Amino acid sequence: MLAQIVIGGFATGCIYAVVGLGFTLVYRTLRMVNFAQGHVFMAGTFLGLAIAERAHLPALPLLLAVGALAFVVGMVLERLVFRRLYHNHEVFIVGSIGLGIVLMNGVRVLYPEPVPFPKVFGTNVVEIGTARIQEANLWVVASTIALVLLLHAMFTYTRVGRGLRAVAADAEIAGAVGVNVKRAIALTFGLSFAVAAVAGVLIGPLYFVSFDMGDMVGLKAFSAAVFGGINSIPGTILGGVVIGVLENLAGGYISSAYKDLVAFVILLVMLVWRPTGLLGRETPVKV
Amino acid sequence: MAGTRAKWLGLGAALVAMFAVPAAAPQYVVHIANFVLIYTLPVIGLGFLTGFTGRVSLAQGALFGTGAYTTALLTTKLGWVPLATFVPSVLFTVVLAVALGGAAVRLAGLYFVMATIGIQQIVWIVLMNWIELTNGPQGVRSIPPIGLGGYDLDTPQRFYYLALAMAVVSYILAKRVVGSRLGLFLRALSDDQLAASSVAVEVGRAKVTALALSAAWAGAGGFLYAHYVRFIHPDMFGLEPSVLFLVMSMFGGYRSIEGMIVATAVLESATEYLRPFGEFRMIVYGLLLLLGMMFFPRGILTLVPRRSAASPAHAKV
Repeated sequence: MLAQIVIGGFATGCIYAVVGLGFTLVYRTLRMVNFAQGHVFMAGTFLGLAIAERAHLPALPLLLAVGALAFVVGMVLERLVFRRLYHNHEVFIVGSIGLGIVLMNGVRVLYPEPVPFPKVFGTNVVEIGTARIQEANLWVVASTIALVLLLHAMFTYTRVGRGLRAVAADAEIAGAVGVNVKRAIALTFGLSFAVAAVAGVLIGPLYFVSFDMGDMVGLKAFSAAVFGGINSIPGTILGGVVIGVLENLAGGYISSAYKDLVAFVILLVMLVWRPTGLLGRETPVKV
Repeated sequence: MAGTRAKWLGLGAALVAMFAVPAAAPQYVVHIANFVLIYTLPVIGLGFLTGFTGRVSLAQGALFGTGAYTTALLTTKLGWVPLATFVPSVLFTVVLAVALGGAAVRLAGLYFVMATIGIQQIVWIVLMNWIELTNGPQGVRSIPPIGLGGYDLDTPQRFYYLALAMAVVSYILAKRVVGSRLGLFLRALSDDQLAASSVAVEVGRAKVTALALSAAWAGAGGFLYAHYVRFIHPDMFGLEPSVLFLVMSMFGGYRSIEGMIVATAVLESATEYLRPFGEFRMIVYGLLLLLGMMFFPRGILTLVPRRSAASPAHAKV
C-alpha cells in the first residue's frame, strides 16, 4: 500500500516537475511567471491526441513530434504575444492568463467532453515488490529522467545552452559579450512550451483528458517550482516530486478531499519562510 | 475654480443618471448594473493594495467569497437577519485575510502574487470540501433577500438603490482613505519603500492595514453579492473572479478609483455584449484580456489623454 502510494505520487510528481520546469525556464530568464503554462500542458495533450488519432505513431515519435511542434508554437507566440507583455509582471501575469483562457476555451470548442487518450504507452501492469504499477507510469518517470538529462546536457555542453544560462544570469552582460538575447528569450519560451506539451502527452493515457485539466496541474506545478526554487532547475524537479509524493500520501492516509490542499499550503508556508525555495539562491527584496 | 465646478456638475449628472436607471432601463440592464455596482467594492478594495502598495493580489475573489459565505451561512443555518450579518461578514473576511496573508504581505512584488495564488486556492478548496459547513459543491441555496423595514429587496429594481448606495459610500470612503495620512503612507510605500521607512512610515503596519482594507471592501461586496444572487457556489469564488477583479483594477489604471469603476462597468457588461459570439464568447474574453495588456498596459483611461497627460496630479488620486 505504502509503496504503491509513493510510486504513484512519484509519477504524478514527475509531471508537476516537468510542467514546473516551464515556469522555471521563463522565470530564470525574465523574472516573469507565465500562467498560461498549465493550459499549454493541456493543449499539448490534445495536440498529441489529434496526432495519434490520425497517424498511429508509436510512443517515442509521438512525444518528439508534439515536443517539436510545441517548441515552434512557443517561439512564434513569444514573437507575436509575449514580447509585448514584458512591461511589468502584472501585465505579464494578466496577459498570460488571458492567453490561457483562449487556449482552454479554444480546445473546449473542439473537445467539449472528456475523451479517452489512446493507450500509446501500453496497458501492462508491472509488479515491483508489492506495488502494482501501470506501464504508462514508468514511461512518465523514464521520460522525465531523459528530459532532465537532455536539458542538463544542453545547458552544460552546448553553445546555445550556455547562452541561455548567461542570459538568465544577466541579460545585459550576456548581450554585451555577444549572446543574442532576443533569440535566447524566444528559445526559452520554445523550451518551456515543449516540456509542458510533452508532459501533457505523458499524462494523457493515464486519465480521460479534458479542456480544463491544465488549471489544477498548472497551479500545482507552479507551487512545486516555488517550493523547490523557481530559479533553480534541480529545485523545481525536487519540488515537483516531493509535492507529488506528499499529496498522494495525504490523499491515502489523511483525507482524499483535502489532497489538493497540500501543494498550496506548501506554497504559502515556503514563501513566507524561505521565498527562494529549497534550492534557490536569489534573494528577493524583503523589507 | 471652474475645473472643480465642472467636475461636481459632471458628478451630479452621473448621479442623477444612475438614479434614473431602474425607472428608465429594462430589467436586464438593471440586473447588470447591480453586478457592476457590487463588483465596484472588491475592485476598489484591490485598488488599496495594488495602487497604493504596489502589491498585486490574486486572492480578492476568495475574500469576496469569504464575505458571501459568511453571510449566507449565518442567515441560512443560524437564521440571522441579513442586515445583522454585514459586520460579521466584513470582520471575518478581514481576520481571514490578515491570518493567511499578514505574513506574506511583506514579500515584494511577484512573490506576493505567488502567495496570493496559494491563498486563493486554499480558500476555494476548503469551500469545496468542507461539506458539513459549506455544503461543498452543492452550494448554498435560498439565501434570504435583504429586508429594510419589512420591505424585501428581492428584485433587481429594488436591490438597485442599496447597491448604488453601498457603491457610492465605498467610493467616498475610499477617497477619504486615499486622502488621509494612511493614504499618504501607502503611496509613499508604493513609490519607494526604503525612503518611506526612513521618514518614519511604519512599513509593515501600513501594508497589513492596506491588506485589511482591501479585505474589508471585498467582504462587503461579498455580503451584497450573496443576498443579490441568493445562491452561491465555490466556483463563483475561484481564480476566475480574482483575475477579473485584478484586471478591472488594472484596466482602470492603478491609482484612479474612477478608472476602476469605468473598467468594472466595461468588463462586467462584457458577459452581455459578448453574447453574440456564442460558444466563442470565452475565447473573445481571453483575447480581450490579452490584447488589453499588450496594447494598453497602463489602463484604459490612457485612451482619454485629457486625464493622463494634462494633469498628472489628478492621476495620483
